[in-house]
Order: sequence, then structure tokens, then C-alpha cells
Amino acid sequence: MSTAATTASVFDELAAIVGPRNLSDEVAELITFDIQGTQSAIRVSPASAEEVAAILRVVAARGLAVAVSGGFTQQHIGNPPERAEVLLDTSRLVALDHYDPGDLTFGVGAGATVASSEQRLAEHGQFLPLDIAERERATIGGLLATNTSAPLRHGYGGLRDYCIGIHFVTGDGMVAKGGGRVVKNVAGFDLMKLMIGSFGTLGVITGASFKVAPRPRQTATFVCEFASLPEAIGFRDRIMASALTPIRFEIVSPRAMEYVAAHSDARDPDHYHPEAPVAAPDTSWSIVLTAAGSDAVLARYRRELSAARELTGSAEHDFWNGQLDFHANVAARHRNAMLMQLSVPARAVEAALAGAEHAAVEQNAMCAALGRAALGSLTVAVIPLSVDPPSAMQYANAASAIRASLPPDGSAYVLRCPIEAKAHFDVWGSTPTDRSTMLAVKRALDPAEILNRGRFLL
Amino acid sequence: MLFASSIVRQLRKIAGRDAVLSAREDLMLYEYDGGVQRALPQAVVFPQTTEQVARIVKLAGKEGVPIVPRGAGTGLSGGAIARKGGIILGFSRMNKILEVDVGNQRAIVQPGVVNLDLSHAVAKHGLYFAPDPSSQKACTIGGNVAENSGGPHTLAYGVTVNHVTGLEVVLPDGRVVQFGGKPAESPGYDLTGFFVGSEGTLGIATAITVKLMRLPESVATLLAIFDSIDAAAQTVVALTSEGVTAAALELLDGWTLRTVEEAMHAGYPMDSGAVLLIELEGMREAVDDQKAAVIAVCNRLAREVRVAKDESERQRLWAGRKNAFGAVGRISPSYYVQDGVIPRTRVPDTLRRIEEIAKKYSLTIGNIFHAGDGNLHPLILFDSRDPAQMERTLAAGKEILAYCISVGGSITGEHGVGMEKSEILPLMFTPSDLDVMQRLHDVFNPACLLNPQKIFPMARSCRETNAAAHPAAGLAFTQGGPA
Amino acid sequence: MPLSIEPAPHASCFSAHDRPTWELYSTCVHCGLCLQQCPTYRVLGTEMESPRGRIYQVMLADEGRLPIGDAFVTHIDRCLGCLACQTACPSGVPYGHIVERARAQIEQRYHRPWLASWVRHFVYAGLLGDYKKLARWARRLRWYQHSWLARAVRASGLLKLFGLAPMEALAPQVSQAFSFEDFGAMFPARGERRGRVALLAGCVGSVAFDPLNRATIRVLQANGLEVIMPEGQGCCGALHAHAGRREEARTLARNNIRAFEQWSCDAIVTNAAGCGSAMKDYVDLLAGSSEDSETAASAQEFVKKVRDVTEYLAELGVRPPAHPLALRATYQDPCHLAHAQRIRSAPRELLRAAGVELVEMQHPDYCCGSAGVYNVVEVELAGQILEEKMDDVAATSVNLLVTANTGCMLQLRSGVARRGLPMQVKHVIEVLDEAY
Repeated sequence: MSTAATTASVFDELAAIVGPRNLSDEVAELITFDIQGTQSAIRVSPASAEEVAAILRVVAARGLAVAVSGGFTQQHIGNPPERAEVLLDTSRLVALDHYDPGDLTFGVGAGATVASSEQRLAEHGQFLPLDIAERERATIGGLLATNTSAPLRHGYGGLRDYCIGIHFVTGDGMVAKGGGRVVKNVAGFDLMKLMIGSFGTLGVITGASFKVAPRPRQTATFVCEFASLPEAIGFRDRIMASALTPIRFEIVSPRAMEYVAAHSDARDPDHYHPEAPVAAPDTSWSIVLTAAGSDAVLARYRRELSAARELTGSAEHDFWNGQLDFHANVAARHRNAMLMQLSVPARAVEAALAGAEHAAVEQNAMCAALGRAALGSLTVAVIPLSVDPPSAMQYANAASAIRASLPPDGSAYVLRCPIEAKAHFDVWGSTPTDRSTMLAVKRALDPAEILNRGRFLL
Repeated sequence: MLFASSIVRQLRKIAGRDAVLSAREDLMLYEYDGGVQRALPQAVVFPQTTEQVARIVKLAGKEGVPIVPRGAGTGLSGGAIARKGGIILGFSRMNKILEVDVGNQRAIVQPGVVNLDLSHAVAKHGLYFAPDPSSQKACTIGGNVAENSGGPHTLAYGVTVNHVTGLEVVLPDGRVVQFGGKPAESPGYDLTGFFVGSEGTLGIATAITVKLMRLPESVATLLAIFDSIDAAAQTVVALTSEGVTAAALELLDGWTLRTVEEAMHAGYPMDSGAVLLIELEGMREAVDDQKAAVIAVCNRLAREVRVAKDESERQRLWAGRKNAFGAVGRISPSYYVQDGVIPRTRVPDTLRRIEEIAKKYSLTIGNIFHAGDGNLHPLILFDSRDPAQMERTLAAGKEILAYCISVGGSITGEHGVGMEKSEILPLMFTPSDLDVMQRLHDVFNPACLLNPQKIFPMARSCRETNAAAHPAAGLAFTQGGPA
Repeated sequence: MPLSIEPAPHASCFSAHDRPTWELYSTCVHCGLCLQQCPTYRVLGTEMESPRGRIYQVMLADEGRLPIGDAFVTHIDRCLGCLACQTACPSGVPYGHIVERARAQIEQRYHRPWLASWVRHFVYAGLLGDYKKLARWARRLRWYQHSWLARAVRASGLLKLFGLAPMEALAPQVSQAFSFEDFGAMFPARGERRGRVALLAGCVGSVAFDPLNRATIRVLQANGLEVIMPEGQGCCGALHAHAGRREEARTLARNNIRAFEQWSCDAIVTNAAGCGSAMKDYVDLLAGSSEDSETAASAQEFVKKVRDVTEYLAELGVRPPAHPLALRATYQDPCHLAHAQRIRSAPRELLRAAGVELVEMQHPDYCCGSAGVYNVVEVELAGQILEEKMDDVAATSVNLLVTANTGCMLQLRSGVARRGLPMQVKHVIEVLDEAY
């Protein structure tokens, strides 16, 4: 359907919208923007919401589909695109710009990187309470679309708690906004909630405003190790019932620690090389928490967590960077690994982690898992042993076994796995939210279904 | 609109004989809520189960009759008013706490559960429900969900939407659907978050899963006393930018605090220009640190900073704030309370501006507000028997809101748009923004039978069906009521 | 609350005499904070049965939009008059004054069925207005309670048949002696003399709570107070005022003012919260009547001296008891003490002074459903309200339930009996008396 002739004329129309320098149909360039095996014919970089609207109208009129991209750090999530003739690159969407340090509010275009935003906020000792990997590339729009969860979510809430305004363009080219620039506002529908985590399927996010936070002046991280998962969970429960209010509160499985801890000289345990020393396998479960506050506050943590190993300064910094790189470290070392994002109530964390360990073993794989111990937002890696190449069914079976260990309103979707395996099972899994209503919402905002077609769970 | 007695009969069949009101003398008691809008419903029904709600909604759909959910009727923007008549769904009999899940810090409640009753019920587990609108002794969690209610302590803990993770919803076509659950989030669209604050226009929540928070170990309440309102306002800016994360930060101006002090004897000095009421919560050590920081910042401009010595002094200081609207009510039975929001850096300018507006219209305007999040509640005093003064009051209210918008603020921080502000919503949103919102509205509520003529301006809301509407008089009045 | 959707005002349904005025009801901003505090709203869940709704109905009637018909009367009658809404109200709405006046309008403008009219007349004008008649009927009741007839009637199930069983359970056990016999007597102070008080014995108090009156006298004496029981005193008129029979209430008020005026004393004390709150309201009651201009000054003098016995003792500071009790108890706030008179800490202080460890129940200031004669008139509703209260009481698992009003004691005793709880119900003063 998308013949070369169509794309050629579309190219001209798009060029008229964004100017000839801001689009490309060079195959050599487009190949670097591959999304799970699909390459677009045209990459276009609009600079305003109006340009985005014009582009989407052209694309819809021609019966084409659009993939939306930010920093390309999360494009491995979800199904491969059904098709995506046009790649809409948000990097020039930096028009929205307000920062009122006294009000602790900050607004940027969707194309702004997390690092550039952090830099500006840091000048006033403030930050977006979101510690994620690949900050240099990850964009604000991408964060919102994927609803990225990070360790600081425990203390500061998630994006849905501090995104106070959003600008976007619907699939049929309507420019819209929700919320505003103030921290409290109930005027109109809460479109922020709808767009956060919609994976670009309801609209192209063009900008957003946030409530930002003062960066804590002093922190310390405490690592508490336990011989078993139940012991770790028991400790977690005690902390949850205590007066302590850590800003990070993570649980890390024994094997996950190998991908978190600062890189040692020891070789990978799964790399066959008998002469080189192998790092002793870690067998303990860890609860890791970060405290922020004065000396007195930190002293209280030290007192109550007397058995913990304390990390401060660069050791602390390195630990959390390692934690953020968990996903990347696993992926870099194990091309075949599957990573899943789990969301369960606090009480189900133990069963979910035990279930994941069990599911991995059943499929002849290893399991590494970490995440928010109290919030129940977990990242689980299923790492097939390198003895023989894994089959698609192993992924499918592991995913369904993990899902079976969750309560009915729990969920587990695939963050990453080999593309070939994705055709064999549902990468999104179930959600407690009514599908037909979600579908009706999708059709209202993207009637021609041109946005990130085929990628999401609908 | 014809309202067949057969509808009343069918309602009785669904919910029970004693669960339906249809006599005029009873219906008149459902023409009001906490605001001043009025409209008479044609029937009131008190369902006891989700299934009954679904059957009533289906019946209303079949008969083409509007349906308006109502909790305790404490709202301030006319959300629970049957503007086009029809059936009011009263939730006073769906007031059970269905489940308290201590381990997961969640509760599942029916919409008619009173906000404070939930906190009382879970206090024995050291937990509470954080949103604390001033009407929390009476207002229902269903109403909180509809309006996305706030309160003094939302500064630290967020509004209702930040504390709801799942909903069971009856859609206007009678289907019962689930959005979210106990987990903090789920893949797919966050319809839970979208639904909260939709003012009863998208569906009817019949079971609500809420977060329960752990009661703080330590609480400190401070009263900072200033000679001028400007000094208090500057201090709000300083506290915010210093990164003091207070649980609550409330401002009362000189006129208001004197009025309150006379009625309540809360301990506010009569000769001061303004006071800030500041509450800090959390770990003992953290509260001590914050207390020191707050005192240091306040002392730059304050005449004096007092720290409540015990629970009774704390309660006394709060009694002043919580009963402030009523105290004003004692000296002037009619007052118009606004609900604008401004960036916190604009607090001093805005207060000066409100003073100018008061002078311009020769009105008394008291200022009491959630300073910590820039949520103003100017109280404009008027005599309802003087039409000229009422007109000036309306004009002053509108001018204050216009100013809020001009500095990047909002027309409502916690009371909702409802009937009161539907005509001025276009001051904040473009036609295109509103079109998108209405498209979403129509996904859920295409026939506009559920809480019709709310949020959106009359000229927009369901054009084909608004013939029988009551005339909308621009910015409507809200008289009285706490916030 | 002047804005309403019907533009043209009709003629008011109220007469000018004892009228709930715009000045009284317009202070309500219908915020709804009163709803959950109202016992009838909690049970019935409708606006008509809420304080806000009742005030609105009064406004509608005054605007001529709602007739003083069956609906109006039903809803206004159902109010217990507990005044919990007044405590909750941020605007200081004088709800009690509004409802009493609304009831006065009902008395003037509404014809109750003949039986109800006759009973009301017999009780209010007959029994409660005339202590001789009251004593006579009380003796008859006492005879009945101790007779074979009562046992026979109970055994026959006749009362159940006529739905009168709960009422019989609520009827006070008539005392062996009546307090009338002590009228005119003076009881000397013990120990160092700290003052002199005049005691109102009360109508029901005199015939059904004579032991409590005697305990009150002993406790006052023990605290160095000389106690007098002025002759000529009568019923306080609370029940009449609550029933809208304000003229009868005024007659009783004038009578009491005259009776107590004869004696110089530091305070006029009562052990019944309902009587105390009614007497503290004499100024408002008499202000409505033109013939009371000269009584006005003496009413003010009278009101200044009225104290609940717990209030007065706590102000004075009680003497440490000789035999402190090592008991755990829970305390039920009588509505007319907590809400009408805002007295909450005084009775608790006295209990602690008696050595009692207080175990607070949930919502100690929620009404028990007694409310004067309410539990007799609205049997079923009062029963539901009592059930709610007994849940909270039972949760404390103590063996002693203390309150400070006679009506509440009767209601709570029937609640305890109905549940079969191993619990005694006592007045604060009785507990203190035991400790001395």
C-alpha cells in the first residue's frame, strides 16, 4: 500500500511543513532508527505542536502510520510495529519552556533530554525526582509515554503524581492540553493521566510541566542482606511499619546484584573460560534503602539498621548508577535475555519474585530481579543459560509462569526479548483495566489508528 | 420534560419501596448542595448495590432521563445538582468499607463512605486516608473521587487522585467495568487517574480502591505571626524555594484572623497583619530539622514564631483555620468564596491585587488560603439583599480569577468546575483543548444523561439536548461553605 | 440562604408568634458539615432527616413553598434535639432555637390526631406541670411495677402484641421516696464551708432518680457546700420547649426563677444535663414574650448562676475521695452537656478524681437516642440509634458505663439489658459518691 510514489509525494508535503532540512528519507540514516526490525521511509522532525498536527493530518490522509520517537532508549518495549512509514522524531520539540524555581515548577518540550532538564534544575539545587538510565538520550516525552518507573518513585511518587500539565496532538491532528503550570488544579479533565503510559498511542506528546523537588542535601544508602527471600520480605514489612521514610526502598535478588554492583575484574560467570577466576556467586537477597536528611536523621537510620552496610559519596553514587544500568547490563551481556516489568500489590512481591525464580529454572534459565520493594514495581530478567539457543516457547512459558504467580490485578509486560519470540506470545499480558473502554478512548483520539500502530496492548 | 410515574415504579422495583423519593416536598431537599446553585430533581433513589446502580442507569438510559450521582452534597461548584432534572442517585446507603487490606495498605470502599470514617476505621492499624478536605467529617469518598478533592494536607501528600489505585465503575450504558486495582499501576491507559476529578460526567464509581498511609511518628504545628500580609506572603515564597516540605502551610490575613480569633479564640494575635499556620510531619528527627529550618526562614520577617506545645494547643490553632469560613459566616451571612490557584512566587503580587480589587469594588475581601500550593480562597462579603452589591461581588470574583489565569494559574484548585465555573473554563482552555476533552466525554457519556451540563460551557455541552436547561448566568455564585 | 429557584415569594406559612426568623436560619450556608453528626441522618440517610435539611424546610415554609403538613411535621418531630449539629457547625447556626420555634409553629398551625393531642396535653400540661399530679401518677406506676399485674402483663405478651414492650423497658423504675419530700430542706456543708448551692430536683428526677438526687446532695456536702432545695421549684420546662409548647415552658421558667430568687446562693445546680441546658436558655425563651420584660433582668441573674453539677464541682475543684475506686469505665457524653453546654472535660475530671480509669469509646458524644421523650415517641428509630451507640460501648469491654444525665441513663440501661452486657450504668455523681 505504501508505494514509493506515495512516500515521495508525502515527503514533499512534509517538507513543506517542517522545511527541507528537518526531514530525511536516506536509507542509510533511517536504518539507524530501526524499531524492532521495522524501518520507516521518512523521518520528520517537527518543531511545534502545529507542525506535529499538520504532519499527522497528512499521514492520516494518506493512510500511513507513524512511529513516535524520543531518545530511542525504550523502543524495545512492546510489539514490533505493524507498520510505520513515517518516523516522527520529537527532538526539535523544545518550544515549551518555563522554569519558576521559587514555585518549584518546570515545563519543557517533549524533545528535551532528561540530562538537559536536570542541568537547568541543578542550578537551583532542584531535580526531577526520577533516577533513570541513559539520561543523555532519554527525553521527557519518552519518559511520559512509557511511564518509566525508577527507585526514587518510592519517596517522591511517580510521574502521575508530579506531572501537572501536558501538551499533545491527537492522531487526527488536534492540538490539545490538559492541566496547567500550577501544582494544584482541577479545571477540566485530567489528560496527564491519560497520556502517561499510553506509549504514544493516543497522541504525540509535545511538552509537559512538572512539580520539581529540592535535591536532598545529604543522603546515605543502606544495604541489608538476608539469606532468603522470606527474611528480606519480613525485614521490608518491619520497615514499612516503622517511622522510617526512605526515598528509595529496593529489593535486589542475589543474581541481580551481579549486574548492579560496580564492574569487577572477575569474568562473567556464564562465559566459559575455566582458567579465569569466577566471582563468587552471591546468594543473599538485599534490601537497599536511601535516607535523606540531616545528620540526626541519618543517625536514626544507622541506629535502626545497625546490621546494614552503609554507602555514601561515590560508592553510593556508583551503586545507584549500577542499579539504573541493570537493564542495560543484562541486555549487553545476554542478547537472549527477557526482561519483564511487574506491577503487584506489596503483599504479592514475595510470591512474584519466588514465582519468577521458579519459572526461570523451569525454562532452563537464570533469574535476576529487582525493584521497588514496597510499591511492587519490579524488573525481572529471565536469562537463558548459554548451553543451547533458547526457543520461542521458553519465553512464552516463562512469561506465563511468572504471570500465573501474580494476583488477578497484578500485571507483567515484556520490556525486552528477542523479536522472533514476540510473535509467539502476548508481550503485554493482562491488565485489570477494562479493555473495551480503553479501545473506545483510543478510537476517540486516534480514529485512523495511525499512532504506533500494533505496538501497544490494544 | 415528562417524568412518568412508571419510572418511579420501576425505581422502587429495583431499589426497594423505601429507597425512592418522589414527593415534591422531599425532592425540594435535593435541589441544593454546599454551593448556591439550585435545581429540582424528579426522583431521588438510594441504591444499596452496584447491581442496582447498573439497573437504574440502564433504566434512565432507556427512558432518556438524566442521572446525577450525589454523595453528601457538600460540594461547592454544583456538582451534585440535577441541573436538567432527572434522577439523583444518593449514595448514603452504599456506605460500607468493603475491605481493609493492611498488608497492602489499601482499602476498598463504597462511594458513600464518609472520608473521616475511613481514617477512623483504619487508625487501629496505624494507617489513615490522606486527602482531608475541610468537609471531611461529612463528605464522601465517592464525592472526593468525583471532584478530586484536596485539603490542607494535600501540600505534602497530593490530592485524591494520588490516593486512588482502582475503581469499579458503572458506565452510562449500564455496564460495570473495572479500572486498575490494588497495584500502584497497571499497563494500559490510566483510566483510574483520568476518571478521578471527572465530576460524575464519565461514570459512577461504585467501589473505590484507595491507598492508606502510615500515621506520622511526629507532628509539629507552628504559628508564624507577621506585621504585614506582604511579609507573610514573602515568607511563603521563601519557604517554598528553600525546599521546606511542610505537610500544610496556610495563610490568614489580618482581617480574617481577627474575625476568627473573636469567634474561636484560637490564639491568633489580634494586632497582627497575617499569620501562617505551618504543620510538619514525619520522622521525629526530620520534623525537628524542618522545624528549625522553618523557624529560621520565618524569623527573617516574622514578629514571632510559636510552636504548639501540646495536642490541645495544636487543635486550637487548627480550629481557627478549619472554622474560619464559619467564623466569617457569623458576621456576614453571605460570602462568596473563590478557589483560584497561582504560582507560589506570585503570592505577594496577588494579595496586593486582591486588595486593589476590594477597594475598586468597595467590598470587604478576607484572605485565607492553602498558601503552600498557591490555592487562594478569597472570601468576598456581601449582603444578598442588595442586588448592586451582589453584582459588584460577582465582578470582583471574576477579576480575581482572571488575574490568576494571567499569572499562569487556574480557576479552580479543589472545588471543581461543575455548574459554577463552566462558563469560564474557556479562559483556560482553547476550543481545540475543549473539543478533545469533549470527545473523551462522549466516549463514556455520549447521550449526556450522566450529570449533564457540568464542566463544559452551556453552548458546548450536548447541543441537541440542552433546550430544557436552566439559564446559566455566567459565573454563578457560591456562597459560604468550608474549604 | 436567600437564593432559591422559585422567584415569587409566597406568603409565609408561619405565624408571627415564636417564629423562626430569617435572621436565625439565614446563617446556615448549607455546607453539610452537620450531616454525619446527626443521628437521624446516620440512620435514615436522607436530607429531610438532617439538620441542614430541616433548616431548609423551615426556610421553605417561611417562603410559603412548603406547607406545615404531615411531611414537615414528621421530619421536624424526628429531630432528637441532641444539638450535635451545633457543635459541628462552623457558622454558629442556632439550630436548637430554630427547631424549637418550628415546633412552636407546628403547635399553632397543625392539628395532630386526637389521641396524640390528648396524650401530649396530659403529659406536658398535666403531669409535668403539676408536681402533685406527678406524684400521684408516679405512686400508681410504682404500685404497678411492683405488682402481680406487671408480671402478669409481661408474661402474657400483651405488651409485645401492642408493640409496647420496648416502651415498658424504658420506663423509669419509680423511686421508693420522692425528692419533693425534701423541698425546703437545707443540707449543711461538711468540712470547711466553700459556698452554698441550690439544687433543682427535676420532675422525672424527683420521682425516678431520688437516690441520685440524694447522692448529689451528699457529694456537694462532702465538698464543703451547703445545699438547699427551694420550695416551689418545678419542672425546668425543657421537654415543653423541645415539643414546641413554649408558653407552658415560659410559665415553668417564670415559676423556677421566682422559686430560686428567694434564696441567695452561689449556683443553681442540676444533675440532669437536659435541665441545665434548658435553664441556661431561659433568657432566649422569655425574650419571645412581651409580658416578660420585667422578668428579663431576673432571668439573666438566674441564668448566670445555672451550672451542671459536674461543671460546678470541676470549677471548684473536688476534694480527694476517701476510697478511690480502682475501676475502668467509659463515659457517654450527654448531648445536652457536650453539645448544648459544651461541657466535656468536667465529668471526666470528676471520674478521674474518683480513681476511675477512663476508656474512651468511639464517638462518645454521639446521641444514645434517649432525647427526652424521644425514645418513647420514636421507639424504632431511637432503638436503631441506640444500637449504633451500644456497638461503640461494647467495643470498650469495660463493666461500667457512666453518663451525666438521667434520660441517657434510662436509655443506656435498656441498651445494656437488650444486649445482655455485664455492665452497670451510673451517673458521674453516683460514682463520685461511692468514692467518698
